[in-house]
Amino acid sequence: MSAMQLFFGRRLLSCQSLRSPGRSLLLPLGFVVALFAAAPLLAEVPNAVAPTETYSGDQVEQPIEFPHDIHAKVNKINCMYCHTYARRSKVAGIPPTSKCMGCHTVIATDKPRIKKLTEYWEKGESPKWKKVHDLPDYVHFTHEKHLQRFIFDNKDMKVENASEVCAFCHGEIKDMTVAQKSRPLTMGFCRRCHEQNKGPFDCWKCHK
Amino acid sequence: MALDKIKRRDFLKIMGWGGAGATLAGCDMPTTVTLEEGKEEVVSYLVPEEYVIPGIGVWYASTCQQCAAGCGVHGRVREGRVLKLEGNPESAVNSGALCQMGQSALQTHYNPDRIQQPLLRSGGALKKVSWDEALAQLQQKAGGRSAWVTGTISGHQAVLLDAYVKATQARHYPVEVVGSPVWNRVCQDMLGDANPRLRIDEADLIVSFGADFLGTWNSPVHFSRQYARFRQGPKRGMLIQIEPAMTLTGANADLWLAIRPGTEGVFALGVANVLVDRYQTSIAGLPADAQKAIRLYTPDHVKDITGVSVDQLMKVAELLKKRGNSLVLAGSTAEGHSYGYQSVASIMLLNILLGNVGKTLQANVHAPAQLAPRVGNTANLVAFAEAAAAGNIDVAFFYGSNPLYLAPQSLGLKGKLDKVGFKVALSSFMDETTAQADLVLPLASALEDWGSHVGAYQNGELQVSIQQPLMEKLYPETRGFGDVMLGLLKQRQVREFALYEDYYAYLRNAVAAMPAALNKAGGNAWNNALQHGVVALNAGSGALRPRAVSLPQPEMAAGDDGYPYHLVPSARLGLWDGRHANIPWLQEAPDQITKVVWDSWVELHPTTAAKLGVARGDTVKIASKAGAIEAKVYVYKGIHPDAIGVPLGQGHDEYGRYAKGRGVNPLSILNDTKDQTTGELALHATRVQLSRTAGKPGDKLVLMGGSESQLGRKMVATVKAEVFARSEGDA
Repeated sequence: MSAMQLFFGRRLLSCQSLRSPGRSLLLPLGFVVALFAAAPLLAEVPNAVAPTETYSGDQVEQPIEFPHDIHAKVNKINCMYCHTYARRSKVAGIPPTSKCMGCHTVIATDKPRIKKLTEYWEKGESPKWKKVHDLPDYVHFTHEKHLQRFIFDNKDMKVENASEVCAFCHGEIKDMTVAQKSRPLTMGFCRRCHEQNKGPFDCWKCHK
Repeated sequence: MALDKIKRRDFLKIMGWGGAGATLAGCDMPTTVTLEEGKEEVVSYLVPEEYVIPGIGVWYASTCQQCAAGCGVHGRVREGRVLKLEGNPESAVNSGALCQMGQSALQTHYNPDRIQQPLLRSGGALKKVSWDEALAQLQQKAGGRSAWVTGTISGHQAVLLDAYVKATQARHYPVEVVGSPVWNRVCQDMLGDANPRLRIDEADLIVSFGADFLGTWNSPVHFSRQYARFRQGPKRGMLIQIEPAMTLTGANADLWLAIRPGTEGVFALGVANVLVDRYQTSIAGLPADAQKAIRLYTPDHVKDITGVSVDQLMKVAELLKKRGNSLVLAGSTAEGHSYGYQSVASIMLLNILLGNVGKTLQANVHAPAQLAPRVGNTANLVAFAEAAAAGNIDVAFFYGSNPLYLAPQSLGLKGKLDKVGFKVALSSFMDETTAQADLVLPLASALEDWGSHVGAYQNGELQVSIQQPLMEKLYPETRGFGDVMLGLLKQRQVREFALYEDYYAYLRNAVAAMPAALNKAGGNAWNNALQHGVVALNAGSGALRPRAVSLPQPEMAAGDDGYPYHLVPSARLGLWDGRHANIPWLQEAPDQITKVVWDSWVELHPTTAAKLGVARGDTVKIASKAGAIEAKVYVYKGIHPDAIGVPLGQGHDEYGRYAKGRGVNPLSILNDTKDQTTGELALHATRVQLSRTAGKPGDKLVLMGGSESQLGRKMVATVKAEVFARSEGDA
């Protein structure tokens, strides 16, 4: 499966269900975890409790050192402008090269990274990016439903703050150049967020 | 809290805390499965198609090529890859259903053993060459007398093949081992339609002599749908299966009768005898020898020959007479003898006597001759072997058939093929035949190719099913069958095909140019074809004209003490005739009857096993006059004590990593016996002897199910017939 356009997988981690004998017994423990991991909530996403656990993933070398910071932070481009499939599909998708060239035929054409990109474009090829976030095959994860819940169906949420929702699972990408995994994306991570934000809790929601 | 004072509630609390802690820790452990972070490449579209959204599948219609039934499929395509196949609800053949063989076409397509480049034999070994070299070789050699061996082929591929066969004055031998050639001939002779429409759904009683219509007979997915209606009607249909070894259909029957192999026709005549004798059915119109045969087979006489009790015979006759519409079928176990035609004709006679013709057997629609299927059989296999032996073939082409695997050793095909000057295989896999070829042209998979297909069995509604690619070719050096044929036709300068750049252009033009009178749905035929996967054609059907044929009394081979057992080589919905042995899903899917996986076995009746002193898992040698194989024993009551069953499909010498060197091929040891009327190979006429052997050490029979008994647990509740009749109406 080498040529898939998947940016993220659609999957999670192995573990048993937690909906088991006496859920009330689990609550105090959930509290303990919350104490350990207490951190200020992100004010930009109303009606949501942001996960806070962190993880330090490997730095992945990419064919072009794509600067997320210049795009998302300096120029304040919405994540969904490039990752346009996130709101429509389970995967967010790597933007098509034609989308890059939509701007970069005129913007910053003298920069070495753009020159490299232009070379690809003229050869009629897309850069072979390396996957940064992945979930196991037996986990069904969909970007679409999460964006629905936290952005589009979320009262008082401003679409221009979308990056704060993305940051729940991807960390502060807008401070990075090449993306780096900064959340654990384990089943415990998913489960705690689902608990706090009253997400679905059935095994088959993700393991189907 | 002392241990002895722990209350149940406390215990649960402690367990709850501990258990939750353990589980949560597990949830946060680094995964033990392989993630592809930092490793797998993700390549974006250069310029995306408007309708493509990564992660969301688009379904396209096509046609299944796993057997010749011609079921319509829908394929889910995501990011340019086909991921799932389902039945096309608009197909009149399968109405949205799809069998396990169809589902696993994905593993034919993605199979790692596919041939990726043309191969030419030089210095004894096959070496990679370019298509230009391959076709140049072909042009140089293809001048002489040539022969085409294919599977069942229909639609526009058949049109191209016919054109090439005509241009080169070749002969075409369509070959299939799993089929119903004798039944079709008898239907043609006695009903005037080789493939009458079978109204399983209209019948109240089906008596099937070994016709495995739910598994391997003609159009199993279609018949399974009909069978569901047959069972669900206001008067639940009843199925009686009479055969030497239980098939999938037999396992579904209300009454299963084990019959001595080769005596099916006698049983049918016995039923006719009872119908005449007890129920005053008139046989005045029948030919004299048929009347004589019916009178000859009295119930007692039939019991001696068939081994089925008089009571059972009487019961079958009574049910046939009293239980409304009936339908009597004959399958490969009835066909596969030197007198197979007479057996099937005797069985068909029951349909005529019972007045089924026009009710449960109806006239069918037929495709225009150019598109109609050239249905394969084994008589063609024999004819091809004879032509090869006579040195009448300079160039042989093989496509969609593997004659070297299918032909019994007694036919000596391998030696005879040596007399063929140049052998060309159009194939996706290195099967037994392809491995002997001098030139191998690698074909695209069925999911990468264009085509049109017409199933031999139609459902009273004529459709041409369109095969369209579900994805780009995995291997750029492979070519579609139609493209190869067009190339060959251009080599021969056949003018009417010179215009078309590729097979797509030809097929599109041919479908779009369909005469308006034929186009049932109206509108743009090509758009309809792509969108719906099927093109409905206007076709009329006549009426069946029942006509009894002369029935000379069958001569049964006398028992041979040296070879006491009848070999039943049974086909399964799975590996089929061996063509699916390279599909791991189907190897892994437990056999419907024995639950064995990844292996061959021999079914023995408990009395036979006791006589030989063998138990499940022991190895026996099965020797016929033509050869011997060894297989592990499966002891099973669903087989006649005189018969042993060995499934088809395994025992490949070639055919890739999943098939090669696994199990045995019962076809290889068949005697060279033929049906005297049709010339078909008598697949069930071989007698064998059994002896115990040591087997390979550590070699075990792997079964996915353990027990045939419910162990007293009433998993399937039973009730006495009279109680059932009282509460549920008549039985």
